[in-house]
Amino acid sequence: MPWPENPRYFGKATPRAEAPAKVTGRAKFTTDVALPGMLFGAVLRAPWPAARVRAIELAKARSAPGIKAAVAVQDGAFDVRFYGQELAAVAGVSRQAVLDALPLIAVDAEPRPFVVDEIAAMQPDSAPVVAGKANLGEGQARTNGDVDTAFAASAAVVEGVYRTQVELHHCLEPHGQAVAWEGGELTAWVSTQGVFALRDGFARALGVPQSNVRVICEHMGGGFGAKSSLGAEGALCAKLAQAAGAPVKLILTRFEEALAVGNRPSSWQKIKMGADAAGNLTAFQLESFGTAGFGNGVNNGAGSGSAAFPAPYIYKFAASRVKQGSVAINAGQACAMRAPGHPIASAGIEAALDDLAAKLRLDPLELRLKNDPSETRRREYALGAEKFGWKEKYRAPGSSPGPVKVGIGCAGAAWNSGMSRNTQAEVQVTTDGGVEVRVGTQDLGTGSRTVIEVIAAEMFGLAPEQIAVRVGDTRFPPSGTSGGSQTTSSIAPAVYDACENALTELKKLSGLDDPRGANWKNACAKIGGTPLQVRGRWREGLAAGGGAINQGGVQFAEVEVDTETGFVKVRKILVVQDCGAVVNRLTCESQINGGVIMGLGYALYEQRIMDRASGVVLNPNFETYKLPGPADIPAIEIVLLEQPERGVIGVGEPCTVPTASAIANAVANAIGARVPDLPLTPDRVLAALGLVPATERGGARAEIDAAFRAVAQLPVHAGATEAFA
Amino acid sequence: MNAFGYVTARTPAAAIEAVRDDGRFLAGGQDLLGELKESLVSPKTLVNIKSLPETAEVRREGATWSIGANVTLAMIAAHIELHRAFPALAEAAAEVGSPQIRNVATIGGNLAQHSRCWYYRHRDVRCRKKGGSTCFARGGESKYHSLFTGSMCLSPCVSNLAIAFAAGDAQVVVQRGRRTERLTIAELYADAWRTAAAHNSLRADDLILRVELPVTTRRSTYLQVAEKGDFDWALVSCAAAAKVDGTRVSDVRLVLGAVAPVPWQVAEAGAFLEGKEITRETADRAAEIVLRGARPLGDNAYKLPIAKALMRRALLKLVAPA
Repeated sequence: MPWPENPRYFGKATPRAEAPAKVTGRAKFTTDVALPGMLFGAVLRAPWPAARVRAIELAKARSAPGIKAAVAVQDGAFDVRFYGQELAAVAGVSRQAVLDALPLIAVDAEPRPFVVDEIAAMQPDSAPVVAGKANLGEGQARTNGDVDTAFAASAAVVEGVYRTQVELHHCLEPHGQAVAWEGGELTAWVSTQGVFALRDGFARALGVPQSNVRVICEHMGGGFGAKSSLGAEGALCAKLAQAAGAPVKLILTRFEEALAVGNRPSSWQKIKMGADAAGNLTAFQLESFGTAGFGNGVNNGAGSGSAAFPAPYIYKFAASRVKQGSVAINAGQACAMRAPGHPIASAGIEAALDDLAAKLRLDPLELRLKNDPSETRRREYALGAEKFGWKEKYRAPGSSPGPVKVGIGCAGAAWNSGMSRNTQAEVQVTTDGGVEVRVGTQDLGTGSRTVIEVIAAEMFGLAPEQIAVRVGDTRFPPSGTSGGSQTTSSIAPAVYDACENALTELKKLSGLDDPRGANWKNACAKIGGTPLQVRGRWREGLAAGGGAINQGGVQFAEVEVDTETGFVKVRKILVVQDCGAVVNRLTCESQINGGVIMGLGYALYEQRIMDRASGVVLNPNFETYKLPGPADIPAIEIVLLEQPERGVIGVGEPCTVPTASAIANAVANAIGARVPDLPLTPDRVLAALGLVPATERGGARAEIDAAFRAVAQLPVHAGATEAFA
Repeated sequence: MNAFGYVTARTPAAAIEAVRDDGRFLAGGQDLLGELKESLVSPKTLVNIKSLPETAEVRREGATWSIGANVTLAMIAAHIELHRAFPALAEAAAEVGSPQIRNVATIGGNLAQHSRCWYYRHRDVRCRKKGGSTCFARGGESKYHSLFTGSMCLSPCVSNLAIAFAAGDAQVVVQRGRRTERLTIAELYADAWRTAAAHNSLRADDLILRVELPVTTRRSTYLQVAEKGDFDWALVSCAAAAKVDGTRVSDVRLVLGAVAPVPWQVAEAGAFLEGKEITRETADRAAEIVLRGARPLGDNAYKLPIAKALMRRALLKLVAPA
C-alpha cells in the first residue's frame, strides 16, 4: 500500500466536506427528519430514585386526545434504581398532546429507600441499591514486587486522596431517533456512533431479522461514547411506531440527557507514591473506588470496566500495589466516555507525581523526563517544553508574586490505537467521471467524510469536491462502531484499497496506462453502459497491522489563579500529539481542540450534582451543569508529532486525557497547594489556600476512612485489567 | 408546559386587570419561560406588557434618571450617558447571562425574577418556596445559597441590577391597583427576607413601571465573581458607591448580592467609612462589618473571603485615580 511521494491532499489541510451544509442549516440531523404522518414520542420517567413498580396502567393515556400509542418498558413488576429511569412511552400527533398524556399513565409503585452518594452507600447502614447485594462490588487488585520495603527505602513519599467527579457526556445533539415500519421492515434515523451496532440492537429488541432493519445517521452532534448502542429510548420509539402503525420521532430533552444516557464514573483515589533522592520512582500504592451508577462490580458495562481505571498509569514502579472497587448508588449508569478510565487515572497519578516533585524540590517536568517509559512522550515533552518556554516560565510552587498567581503544569496521555479490520468500502465511478465513495461508518463530527474524500481525491488525482462521500447507512459496506479512536485507521485503508481496485479496473476498461487526473474524464467515458463499481477492504499498510499501537501525547498548561477569590483562568494549553500519518490536518487539529475544551470542562466546571435527600440530579441543565464557554477557552497551540511510518492512528481520545491533569498541576504550581478534587471551583481553591474552614469532602472523615478500609478488604476478582503505559 | 391564554396590554390598568385572572406578566420572558417549561407555574393567562407606553426608554428628568421597566439589559449596558453617570449599573447589566439573554431580558424582569435555587427550579422537588415543608439546601447542596436569611428559605437574591440600584438609592415605581407606589430596593425585597415562600415584596398584580435613579456625584462600581468567566451567575456580587475626595469617601453604599434573600446592605459599614480614607485596612474593616453575623452552611463558607475581596476591590476602585 505505497503512498504517493508528493501528496496533494494527504496530510494537508482540506476543509470539512460537510461544512457548507452545516453552516447553512442544510445538513439533516435526526431531529430534522420529518416523515409523512410522523408522530411525536416522549418517555415517562421515574420520579423516585428507588421503587418497586407493581403495574403500569396505560389505558387512560392511550385514549387521551391525539394519542396513538402507549407502551410500558416491560410487563409485570420491576425495580426502579434511579431517578429518571424509563417507565413507559407515549406517541401522539403533537408534542403537547404527548406531554399532556404522560401524567395520565398510572404507575402503581412503592418508593424504597435510596442512596445517591458514594460514601453513604459504603456505610454498613446504607440502603441497598440492589436488594440482597452489597453496594460495594467485588474488587480488582494487582501487586508487583515488595511495596512496603520499597516505600521504606524511598527518600520521599507522598500520600493523598484525589477525587474526580461524575461527568456527563452532554452531546450538544441529544439522543434521539425517528423510526418507521413498513410491513416487518424497520428504518431508523438515529444519532449514533454505530449504525451497524444499532441495527443489531433494534433487531434484538424488536425480534426481527437484522436484514429487516436499516439504520441511517447522516449527521450527528457528538457521541463521546454515549451513543454506541441502542438505548431504552430507542427500543421504546420502535415499539411506539409499531403500535401506532405510523412513524415516530423521539428526541430526548437536555433534562433527560442528565439522567439516563451514561456518564463518566467518579473516583476516590488514595495514592501513596515514593521516589529516591534523585527522583527515580520507587513505589506506588492505590486504593480507589468510584461509582458507575446503579451497577457495581467489574463487569457492569461502564466502558472502563466498572469504576476501575488503569493503574499505575503511564509510570513504572519497582513495586506497586493496586486495589480498586466500585460502589453502586441510585443513579444512572455510566458508559464509555471519551478515553474511558484514562482521564480519571491521569488525574490521580499526575497530581501525585507533581506533589512528589514539590516534596523533592524538583522540576516536575524533569521528574517526567526521568521516569516516563515512553520514548515518544519524552520526545514530546522536550519538544513541548521548548515551544512553551517551560524553563523560562517555571517557578517553585506558590512563588509567583501578587494576589493573582501564575502557574504552569504538564501531564501525559497513553493510548492504544486499534482499528476495525472488517471495514469495507465501495467506489462507484460513473461514465461522466463522477465518483461516489460509500462506507457504512458514521461521521460523529470528527471529519470522517473528509478523510474519505481526501484519500479518494489523492488516489484518483481529482479535487476533493469531485468526490461524493456517502456514510451513515447500513446499506453501505460495513464498518465498526466509532469508538476507541479507531474510525480513521479503519476506514482509510479500506477506501485506499477500493480506490486502488477501481484504478486497476479502470485501466483495463479504458486501455489507459494512467487514468488519473487529467485523463480521468476520458478514461471514465470508456467504462461502457453501467457504472464501474468496486469494493475494497481494510488491509495492512496505510494503517499498521500488528495489533494495538502504543500512543502518547503530552500537554502543558499555563493558568492564573486569583488567590483572593479562588477563580482560575487558563491562559494557554500546548498540545504535542502523537499522530502517526495525518490524513487531514484541519480535522485532526479540530478534534484536538475539542478534546482540550472537554478536558477544560473536566478540570474547572463540569460535575453532576445529586441531592442526598430527594435523590434527584440537581443540575440537569446548562445553567448549573457548567460547560466551558468562549470566554473560558484559552489559546490552544497544537503540535502534531507526525510519524508517517507508524501509519494512520487515532487522536480523538488521547487528546482529552491529560488536559485536566495539566491544569490541576498548573494551579498547584501557582498557589503552592494541591486542590485535590476536580473540578477546581473557587470554593475548593479557597479551601486549599486555607481561607475557608475545610468542608466535608462528600462525607465525614470517619466515613471516608471506613470506605477506604472496606475497599482494602474487598474480595478480589480474577480477570483484573492491565496497567497502562 | 400547560396551555395558556395570551393578551397584550396597552395600558397599566389593562395589564393589571388581565393578570388578575391567574395570570403572569410577560416581558422578556427569560425567567417566566423557564418556570413554565419546568411546570413550576401554570398560569391561565400571559399578559404581554411589552407594548405598554413609555416603558422602553431611559430618560433624564431633572435630578432623576428614569429607566422604563421594558428597557433591556443590553440597552443599559450600552447606554453611554448612564454608564458615565453611574457605572455600577451598566457593569451589573453587562454581567447578566449572554448577549442573547441581555437583548431581551428587561429591567423589570431582572428585578422581579424568581429564585434560582436549584431545589426551587427542580420539577420534582417541593421546597418551602413552593409551599413544601423542607428547605433542602439545609443539610443539602448549599454552595450557591445565602449566608444570611430571616426565614427558613436560603435562596439568595441574584438580581445584578438590584445590587447596583441599591447602591444608587434607586426607587422602583410600581403600579399597585390604582395607586402608583415608590419602593426602595430594600422594600422591594423585604418580604423575601421574612417569608420563605416570597421571591420579593411584589404581589401577583403589582406591575413595575420604571426605576428612578437619582442623579448623583457619587462614583460607583460593580464587581462579581462566578465559576465561569462569562454567562454564569455570580457566586457573590458587590456594588459600591461613594462621594470621593482624594482617597477619602463619604455617603458610602456597599451592597452584596447572592449572600441573602435581599441585596445585603449594612448601614453601619457606611457609617464606619464616612469621611475615612480607603485603604486596605479600612476597606477590610467595613467588609467585616457587612459580613458580621453571617451563618455559613457546610458548602458556602467560601463566599465570605470572596465577598471580602470584592468589597475591598470595589472600594479601592472607587478611590483609584480615574
